[in-house]
Amino acid sequence: MANSDTRFNSISTDTQMAQRKSRNPTLWMSALLGAILTILVLPAVAILIGRSVSITNPDASFGGFTLQHFARFLTTPDVLTSTYNSIVFATLSTVVALLFGGVQAWLVERSNMRLKSLAYLTTIISLGTPYILYVGAWLFLLGRAGPVNDVYRLLTGSRGVMIDVYSMSGMVLIEGFLWSPLVFLLLSSTFRVANADLEEAARMSGANIFQTIWAVSVKMAMPAILALALFVFIRAIEAFEVPAMVGMPGGVDVLTTDVYKSIKETIPPDLGYASAYSVVLLLVVGVLLYFYGRLAKNAGKYSSITGKSFRPRPFDLGSYRWIAEALVLFNFVLLLLLPLLALLWLALQPFMRAVRLSAFPAMSLDHFRVVFASEYYRELAMNTIVVGVVAATAAIILTFFVGWLSARRKPGGVLLDQLATAPLVFPGIVMGVAFLMVFLSIPLPIYGTIWALAITYTVRYLPYGLRYSYAGILQIHKELEEAAGVAGAGPLTMLRRIMAPLLSPALVSGWLFIFLIATKELAVAALLSGPNSQVVAVGMYDLWVNGQGGELAAFGLVWAAVMTCLAFLFYALTKNKA
Amino acid sequence: MKFAINAAWLAGAVGLALWSLPAYAANDQLIAAAKAEGKVVWYTTMIVDQAVRPIVAAFEAAYPGIKVEFARGNSGDTALKVINEGQAGNRLGDVFDGTGTYASVKAAGMVAPYVPDSAANLAAEFKDPDGYWHAANIYYLTAAYNTDLVSAEDAPKTYEDLLDPKWKGQMAWAVTPEPTGAAGFVGNVLMSMGEEKGMAYLKKLAGQKITNMSSSQRTVLDRTILGESPIALMIFNHHVPISKEKGAPVEWMRMEPLVSSASLIGLVKNAPHPNAGKLLIDFILSNPGQQVIANASYLPSNPNVNVQYPELLPTGPKPFKANFMSPDVVEKNLAEWIDIVNTIFM
Repeated sequence: MANSDTRFNSISTDTQMAQRKSRNPTLWMSALLGAILTILVLPAVAILIGRSVSITNPDASFGGFTLQHFARFLTTPDVLTSTYNSIVFATLSTVVALLFGGVQAWLVERSNMRLKSLAYLTTIISLGTPYILYVGAWLFLLGRAGPVNDVYRLLTGSRGVMIDVYSMSGMVLIEGFLWSPLVFLLLSSTFRVANADLEEAARMSGANIFQTIWAVSVKMAMPAILALALFVFIRAIEAFEVPAMVGMPGGVDVLTTDVYKSIKETIPPDLGYASAYSVVLLLVVGVLLYFYGRLAKNAGKYSSITGKSFRPRPFDLGSYRWIAEALVLFNFVLLLLLPLLALLWLALQPFMRAVRLSAFPAMSLDHFRVVFASEYYRELAMNTIVVGVVAATAAIILTFFVGWLSARRKPGGVLLDQLATAPLVFPGIVMGVAFLMVFLSIPLPIYGTIWALAITYTVRYLPYGLRYSYAGILQIHKELEEAAGVAGAGPLTMLRRIMAPLLSPALVSGWLFIFLIATKELAVAALLSGPNSQVVAVGMYDLWVNGQGGELAAFGLVWAAVMTCLAFLFYALTKNKA
Repeated sequence: MKFAINAAWLAGAVGLALWSLPAYAANDQLIAAAKAEGKVVWYTTMIVDQAVRPIVAAFEAAYPGIKVEFARGNSGDTALKVINEGQAGNRLGDVFDGTGTYASVKAAGMVAPYVPDSAANLAAEFKDPDGYWHAANIYYLTAAYNTDLVSAEDAPKTYEDLLDPKWKGQMAWAVTPEPTGAAGFVGNVLMSMGEEKGMAYLKKLAGQKITNMSSSQRTVLDRTILGESPIALMIFNHHVPISKEKGAPVEWMRMEPLVSSASLIGLVKNAPHPNAGKLLIDFILSNPGQQVIANASYLPSNPNVNVQYPELLPTGPKPFKANFMSPDVVEKNLAEWIDIVNTIFM
């Protein structure tokens, strides 16, 4: 904690001194934030580009200029295959996530179905559960020896499988499942503010339910859906968990696993090639983000909260209501109940085995006992909480200032906004590579400590923090600031006494959101975690890779239960705001 | 603690000399220096719940006040960590082990020689004359099958049997870059069949679509126990009795020649806790340390220690032939074998 605390203290004392010296404290604030963000963001990009054009020596140190790493793209077909796989994977999993999450969002927000709380429960618990746990559970459920294929064999008498989960289709399904709760959460806010009058008008003009949904509800939400689709697509291009756990055993390589493998499965690690790969990946994501930015600008085009009295009325599904309810129930079973039951099964069995009546007597709490008794798990949990708290706090504090400077069009605000948004182009695995090289090449003793993770996470989640603070500041009218100014308060006093309290719901939601995703993050930590800076996600991945599925499930269930409580808090806060 | 000393050893003068050694061979000066350092960081390739935890517990009990921190990875991960840290001049790890770790770490010039007192117990093939490495434990790798899904008669017995079309898509192995992964299988085939016949065989085998796992050999065996892949290749034979004890439906095969490999333990050059590191190496090679390894059903390198399942050894009640992947052979050939795996099987 000491490092970042003193850093922030020095920021505030620096700025306070600046205020006394200068007539324009805002300018100083911009300059200081600009310096901090530049130090945080730029070295990673620079080192990545530098290493991608440097020779890697046999002892893994770096030599002179070369284009050989990029030249390898031309001679090996792997890159094309991986790129193709990445695109197919991202496109199809986006479709799955939108179908699962989107349909449910509309039903829950706009229809008169029952069981709505089930949909929220599914979403909230999934927010708190590490991806690895879900992926592990679904791999077990859909695996050759899992219950799905068991039932299939029982019904058909065949000896084969209905689905081979270690394949592109398995990857698509699981990634789609993973993202559908977030799609649900984001689209439900879009549907919530849609004007019910238009749907009713359509119904009165003689359109049936499906025509109305298609021609009015979906069309109105289309800009938001498209923007969200591109967002999920980008995240799927960057995804690491599913490609690593499902794709690599199945021989389906994507861009992110290629980067990982060139470091982890080659002796000596090919950092030059990995950097070249990362640079390509940065460019791809950068281009996609550019289009996302254009789409997202239009996302609210048809939202229709106006000054006139507004009360969304639920859409009567009539005799189709049971279909909607069945669908939500199906989602609940598929996305929540089955994975949790699978994890419970694995946690209670002495070794990973198929679900059989004959295996029930072997159940024991041994794995839970190990988890509670072992210092290792306590350390994992503590490290993760420290890293999550520090990263969320640092990112929120930085983006609070950046958000204000940017939203109020202060000098340098636009540039700061761009700097704080820039980390979005880093896929997690690439960010891991870049910061690994940064920490290895600076003389400070950060490498291998949890501070390496805390700093990297802070940078990674700056864009998310900014989204919360920027949007929150826009809702606060400028006249409050002007009043403070008239009363003689400087900008820092104003920010502390007026903005921070008013903004606190947005800041707390942002903090919780960052904390929740930071504690799940694997891709960054996979390369940065040292022996005494292990975090939960890495520990879980190690358990998976080392074949301790039972302990993984037991620890995962305990951890997910704690995180779910935080996710409930997050949900309660954001719901009140909306 | 009781030591069952092998009759042959007792007869020899060396054995008699050993008998007179105290349980913990390390000298007081080393122990005092290690205690002043307070901890040791061990980068290991052993499976945490099976072996690492018991070894750590035994060491910490033997030397109170010295804490062992560990991180588990395959040989590649472990070597990467040591090399990265060495280059950054920011060393965290003191001791490393693994079947393929030493070769890379040595090439990067980051191993410090050290001959612990307890190394006197080891046979010549299990230690480096200059003290750069010692064998912490020995592995024998072979195939295993799920006994619920495959009968003992049906199970493939020879390398040729693996080419039977009925095993297409039914096998898995670990493609981790170490002699105990798929690369070691390739090396074994090339060494026993010769280059030409060996490559022809491997190309045919590639047609069987083996599932490539990027994880430990333990997970490959677990996959077989679960029924995902009825046949596992290149698994450690000692993992099988560990699982069978818990009731898992699995059996290993003597597919000759088996692959034999040693996990080499070494001291990191300019390690942050050199004395504690030396003490850990000394402990792991000592009779008590090796006994912990043996009690974990691993196969010790120290012949003074009784193994739990003698049939796991080539010299046991059911002898088998094995190709020893000596550190020299590994150093010279590992990169080429990995390359063959990457081009033919992936």
